[in-house]
Amino acid sequence: MKTDARTPAARGGCETCHGNGAAHVKAGGGRGVGGIINPASRTLEAARKNEICLTCHQGDPNRLQWKSSTHAIRDTTCTSCHKLHSAHDDVRDKLTQPEVCFVCHKEQRVQVNKPVRHPILEGKVGCSDCHNVHGNNPKQMVRGSVVETCYQCHLEKRGPFVHNHQPVTEDCTICHQPHGTTIFSLLKSRPPFLCQDCHASSGHPTQFAGPVTGRTTSPGSLGTTGRGCLNCHTNIHGSNSTQDSQTTGRFRR
Amino acid sequence: MSKKSRHFFRMTPLAVALLAAHGPVLAQSTEGSLSIGAGNWSNDRPQTGVYDGMRDSGGYGLLDLDVVRRDEATGTWLGLKGRYLGLDIREIKADWLRQGNIGASLDYNRIVRETPFVFNTGLVGIGTTTQLVPTPSITPGTGADVELKTTRERLTGKFYKNLMAGLDFNASYRHETKKGNRNWGRGGAPEFVAEPIDSTIEIGEAALTFSRGALQLTGGFYGTWYKTDNTLVTTSLTNGASPFYLSLPLDNQSWEGYLNGGYNFTPTTRGTFKASYSRATQNEHLPTADIPGLASPLAPENLNGRLDTTVLEAALNSRPMRELSIAATLRYRDFDDKTPVQQYVIAGAGAPVYNTPFSYTNHVGKLDATYRLPMAYSALAGVEYNGQNRSVPTVGTLWVPFRAEVDETTYRLGLSKSMSDTVNGSVRWEYASRDGDSYTLPNNPANPLQDNINPLNISDRTRNKWRALVDWSPTDKLSLQFGFSDAKDDYNGPNSYGLQKGKAQNYTVDGSYRLTSTWQFNAWYSYDLNKANEATQNSGAGTPTKFNELKETDNSYGAGVKGLLFDKLKVGLNVEQFKTKNKYEQNIVGATLPATQVPTPDVNNRLTRIKLNADYPVQKTAEVRLSVIHEKWKTDDWTWMMFPASGPTPWAYGTANDGTTVTSDSNYNSTFVGVRYVYKF
Repeated sequence: MKTDARTPAARGGCETCHGNGAAHVKAGGGRGVGGIINPASRTLEAARKNEICLTCHQGDPNRLQWKSSTHAIRDTTCTSCHKLHSAHDDVRDKLTQPEVCFVCHKEQRVQVNKPVRHPILEGKVGCSDCHNVHGNNPKQMVRGSVVETCYQCHLEKRGPFVHNHQPVTEDCTICHQPHGTTIFSLLKSRPPFLCQDCHASSGHPTQFAGPVTGRTTSPGSLGTTGRGCLNCHTNIHGSNSTQDSQTTGRFRR
Repeated sequence: MSKKSRHFFRMTPLAVALLAAHGPVLAQSTEGSLSIGAGNWSNDRPQTGVYDGMRDSGGYGLLDLDVVRRDEATGTWLGLKGRYLGLDIREIKADWLRQGNIGASLDYNRIVRETPFVFNTGLVGIGTTTQLVPTPSITPGTGADVELKTTRERLTGKFYKNLMAGLDFNASYRHETKKGNRNWGRGGAPEFVAEPIDSTIEIGEAALTFSRGALQLTGGFYGTWYKTDNTLVTTSLTNGASPFYLSLPLDNQSWEGYLNGGYNFTPTTRGTFKASYSRATQNEHLPTADIPGLASPLAPENLNGRLDTTVLEAALNSRPMRELSIAATLRYRDFDDKTPVQQYVIAGAGAPVYNTPFSYTNHVGKLDATYRLPMAYSALAGVEYNGQNRSVPTVGTLWVPFRAEVDETTYRLGLSKSMSDTVNGSVRWEYASRDGDSYTLPNNPANPLQDNINPLNISDRTRNKWRALVDWSPTDKLSLQFGFSDAKDDYNGPNSYGLQKGKAQNYTVDGSYRLTSTWQFNAWYSYDLNKANEATQNSGAGTPTKFNELKETDNSYGAGVKGLLFDKLKVGLNVEQFKTKNKYEQNIVGATLPATQVPTPDVNNRLTRIKLNADYPVQKTAEVRLSVIHEKWKTDDWTWMMFPASGPTPWAYGTANDGTTVTSDSNYNSTFVGVRYVYKF
């Protein structure tokens, strides 16, 4: 758009990104001859490619820290993910974006097809809803931490609660695998195994894992069946109850 | 059928209005497409249709819309994009932008989640704050079938204005309502109730961004507001006995002010910074305080919860010589839970209970260097230190060992090859070591076992990780990609129990082959392994240690072909299969299995999906698209089953009460056939 003074169209057209065309012709033409540049070329150095784009896009609030990002440090280029000269850039559409990310992130290609997942395949949640791949936040999160990123949709988990479950306040991914799992609620592991990674206690917290053989209300048997430990410890993210100590401090109500 | 084509049309008033408003314009001066059609799923899809609005068998209409009108003279874009407009998960976005000057957008989006389960229950009051569990128990399977569902309805508005050369203003606001019910529990007993989640999330942000020459700055405000419709659910048995009061998350809100910036000191040296301060509060009336006997007489009626977070960060990137690049970052984050500690719970069963604020301070230092070698090879080395100081809860509210300090140092080495038309790739190795200070122990004389575990997130740990990715294009027609990653964790510490080892592996191969200018094949395979070894005490103190090995193995593949038949008919066929196998091995030395339980069986899941599309042009600007999808889902997941001697049967909640069972279709096939007319402007 020539009406926008910042765009290549208003600043020199093709030469803004591709170099001096006249010099290219004068030098006889051909790939790279006369300083002509193809930012999508495999044979152009990553930093050089990215500099072309950053000339205009470095001021974008999400790209200020691009050079400190994991992608930049590992020589990922803008054209590794973005299509230029196209009306539809796959990575900017939530429905097609994951396919672009899966070119390198193979584990996630399988995880998003597991039985318990976010609505990523439907394009309702995109990789970029949680990750700012142009930034340098921990784990490339869009917000300053994992928990703050998850609060964008799960704000009820922030509390603070009267009774806070410590891992919940630290990092949701201690217990959850957000890309997809085979366990309900995106848990990394099936209760009681997951809970037993932190909790040892005489009585039912150290129970043997296994489905029950019949109906029971015994806490010592129900750590695996149904919601497992969460059958009773149902407010595991935090509780605002002031009922007696056997219940609230243990996230039962 | 492509993902993009899985959209359906129902002639809703909205669709009619859109066609009326934009139809003539589209044909004259806009770019884009409009597709209208209908399709049918042959069977219910409780597992695969959780999110796509087509869980049930039957017919669906489809409408997709993607229109952009561009005015070169004024530099104005006008866009309208609708997806899934015939479904419950419809979304539509309108965009208006006078590029470089002013713009706005409005986005409406629905996210629906339908659980794959059927709850057969006698519970009374689902969706309300008073729920009654049947007593005596219903005969399992004789209750009413309930399918739980949650719906998010999201409206997002954005505004942009260029105020002067280099100075932009951006604002956004999101309003999201959540409605529905989730699987929950009574807390006092393993009995089924449903959590009413009706609530609202609002998020607003306003920022000024300045960018001129070497300097870029952005500063703004970010606010969040959570408002719940319900604060407490009262449950009891149908005869009024055993009232249990289930607390819900209460309203909370936050604001954040931030300033981020960057400055290019030289063409090869750049510095950046971030500074932010936020405050989140929760000061709602605690609903159980109104119920006689449910709060300490000393307890305040409000939590006065306050979370203050400060982030400071500075980073420097430089390329002091052509061969060498350096990136250094220092980051400080202080998360301070300033909620006052007070006694909230009556000293009844057990000791008095206080609220439990947790605070953290992180110091992170990172240095990465890349050295460019001849022949387009690069060597990378890096080190990262992450130090964390935590507040330790007072003994008496401590249920597991805790540490005030946890430090982790990571070292990285890598080698990459780039800038080649045939072979590019990288190999990286990472080693991380985590430890900390001595544990503060619960020191519960009645339960010394609590002291004897190294909790997962603060345990001493070493991690060895390898990762390699190679792209190989031996010919113009053939390209291959090989991936490999292997991570091993070793956990240790002064205590006996907890995670011992972890392992994650991934092997992948991807390939594509271009047979002709119109025919292309692709295929991929992925193998994933995740393993954890744990040590736990079996059934309390005095019995032997139990060793668990949890292993998940995934084998997945996909293959596809696309091409052109008879010069006109575009066809595509894709096959995908995702298989997972979970094994749970438990070994107890010198002890027998509890009679009430059976050894944890394996769990196998298999999803197969076959898609076929065919696009046939019927006019210069229109085509007819046929889509066929076949899905097969199979699982032997026993999570909601019990195993009496007579054979597996759905587990039922409770004994004297309740009787709810949870079932799902564990083996089904479903086929979709859809036809649509696609008009391109």
